[in-house]
Amino acid sequence: MNWTNRFIARTGKLASLLSPMLAALAIAVPALADAPLTATYQGQTIRFTQLSSRAGAPAIGVNDPGFAALLSDTGAFLTWKPGERYVLITTSVPTVVSFAIGDRRYDAGPIALQASFAPFLVGDEAYLPLREVLRALDLALHEENGVAVLQPQLAALDVRQEASRVTLFAHGGAMLHARIAQESPTSITYAFDGVGTTLSGTRQVGAGGIGSITITNVGSVRDPITLVTVQLQSGTIAEAPQNIDGRDVLLAFDGAAAVNSQQAATQEASPTPEPPPDTASASGAVNASASGPAIVTGVTVEPAADGVLVAIAIAGSAAYEWHRLREPDNRFWVDIANAQLQGPPTDQTAPAPLLSLRVRQVDPTTVRIALSLSGPKPIAFTSSADGLDLAIGTQDVAGEPHAGSGSIGGASVAAAPLEQSEPGTGSAGDATWKFGPRAGYAATNPRLIVIDPGHGGSDVGTMHGGVSEAQLTLDMAKRLRTILIGRGWEVKMTRESDVDVYAPNDTPRDELQARDDIANKAGARLFVSIHANAFINSGPYGTTCYISKPDDAAFARIVEAHLAADGTKDDGIVKSHLYVTLHARMPAVLIETAFLTNPGDYALLTSSAWRQKVAQEIADGIGEYAQEYPVPDQPAQ
Amino acid sequence: MLLVIVAAGTWYYFSHRATGAGATIPIYYTKLDGKTLASMRVSMRPRQPDESAAERLHNVVLYAAVQAIAGPPHDVQAIRFPPGTRVLDASVNGSTATLDLSKDIELQAGGTFGENGEFKALIYSLTGIEGIDAVQILVEGNRLETLPGGNFELDQPLHRSDW
Repeated sequence: MNWTNRFIARTGKLASLLSPMLAALAIAVPALADAPLTATYQGQTIRFTQLSSRAGAPAIGVNDPGFAALLSDTGAFLTWKPGERYVLITTSVPTVVSFAIGDRRYDAGPIALQASFAPFLVGDEAYLPLREVLRALDLALHEENGVAVLQPQLAALDVRQEASRVTLFAHGGAMLHARIAQESPTSITYAFDGVGTTLSGTRQVGAGGIGSITITNVGSVRDPITLVTVQLQSGTIAEAPQNIDGRDVLLAFDGAAAVNSQQAATQEASPTPEPPPDTASASGAVNASASGPAIVTGVTVEPAADGVLVAIAIAGSAAYEWHRLREPDNRFWVDIANAQLQGPPTDQTAPAPLLSLRVRQVDPTTVRIALSLSGPKPIAFTSSADGLDLAIGTQDVAGEPHAGSGSIGGASVAAAPLEQSEPGTGSAGDATWKFGPRAGYAATNPRLIVIDPGHGGSDVGTMHGGVSEAQLTLDMAKRLRTILIGRGWEVKMTRESDVDVYAPNDTPRDELQARDDIANKAGARLFVSIHANAFINSGPYGTTCYISKPDDAAFARIVEAHLAADGTKDDGIVKSHLYVTLHARMPAVLIETAFLTNPGDYALLTSSAWRQKVAQEIADGIGEYAQEYPVPDQPAQ
Repeated sequence: MLLVIVAAGTWYYFSHRATGAGATIPIYYTKLDGKTLASMRVSMRPRQPDESAAERLHNVVLYAAVQAIAGPPHDVQAIRFPPGTRVLDASVNGSTATLDLSKDIELQAGGTFGENGEFKALIYSLTGIEGIDAVQILVEGNRLETLPGGNFELDQPLHRSDW
């Protein structure tokens, strides 16, 4: 996915907008603080009984039954046990929110935040700041006619652009449904019933056929409605809203026609080519990186020996430019170009001399970190592969520069995705992978191939559309056996019918070791385990050869090359910690022929012609391997 | 005497300061090609003054494990642990972290593809922590040879070199 025009429409007003509500709550808190609090949530009544308070703010005990019910209802869960310092909440997003006993700081994914008070213990029970917990669960606590209401929020609306297509990714604190409330050629309004928001306002997009987005909150505390109005450029097509995962809705717009008409109009009006980006840039310092956007993954503030250290964690390379206003306006900001902010905008108050800090995606390609200082303080910049550190001193200084620029990372900085090296070309430590089979194993029967049809008997393997993996693997194994015998090989099958190899309902280890034992005791030349893959959705497809030992690599490489033309995607060779390939002493490969869970692959797997083709290709691979790595007494190929 | 106090204070400061100001740690997930790892960085609180080195390592391991089991946000295409999988306990012995996972991990529907991707990401995430080079997986307190119906060997600690 290209995230180059991601901009997050979450507002920085969250804290300020929450404040009146929380203040109202705080007024109520003396009555509620240590007394039970009854709140309505999605038509249910939730009663919090283990409440306490700190600094006028409510705290909730982690063993509170109401709290447990709320976590369960929102799809979240808690990781904590007495004696642990960390209290971790995994939300439905999922985001892991990390609290720690005695520490006001809490972390939400990539973001470090400050709670109103530090979690504390009462006896063996941890108490957490309730308002921060609710915010993490995308809920807001309101009060209407003396009744507390936990109102789900439209918590985020992320705007992403890929070529001429823009998608708005909405996430809520409850099941989201986008209802089209109003539609015209120039705008479309979606109503999200049942959720409130603090995101109200208008954001300019100016990309992918979208002009702007306006968010408004209507309805009541108990029955809120959030309206999202998208201004469309002429020709932009709004696709039907998609509910992705209950709490997430995708609104997609195809702006190809709008973009084309704009380009045509631009060419008509101004046939002169635009200047190159570096001359168009006001400063020339902030240029786009050729390697895609950098991701600002978090901004944290730490007290330092002499002042404060602001650490901006960045994955990827980026250029930055900073500005400082003149006294008495001691504000400072740094713009990171061609960058995307991961996570919501944040506001922090911080230790002196830092008064406040804000992190925003100020436009589709720029992340801004804005600081307000208590005076004209010195700021030292240190960039590294991990980001940019700003060391802010405590002493006032005069004559400091008011602007500058620099770069973070550089060509040598690895981007966030870590491409896995292929077996055989890995680290120096496994250089043997580059070569053929080790001399350590000598087949006592160099004419013997052991074929292992995966699963069988009490273990059907994966099952889809009435077809079991065990059936398919046995069929392919038999076909392979026939071909190999025809070519002069001896073949032993770990099973020849739909049975367990060790015993019905045996342990996985016994079953798998029994298969290896057959090959190991017979001194086979090669071991081939045949399987069909599966996944929880229908997306993945293709053929994969799994290996575990250095000895397996050359064999797998040749078999995989033959299977590459089997009609589905060639997913190559994957080194993994699989039992049968690890414990087979000879070169071994576990072939996941195709995915039963993918419609295209399913059609292949259920075709006898395709299974015959796969058997032929494996046999061809075995033959080529035997030619390339010959041993005495093997069959002539 | 003053020098001793200053030296002690300096030692205390440096021995208890955060592992890195504004520290984040990488959490890996496996993309849907089944092979490629990608990472997301998550914020990591500094070591607290009363947090011993051993407790700090335990806490970082626990935090990273919970993050890795949770995976990236849903809109990111990734191989994920079975829903409901939780970290019941985390401990560290030498350079081996032991994770006790809930039985939900056994609800595998992802075949070799899922198993491989899940454990690869988890082990890369934990062995990215300084001081950890292997991870032993337990399920509800028990050491398993493989998951039921699975192909992945779990009865020994897993290392990055297993991939």
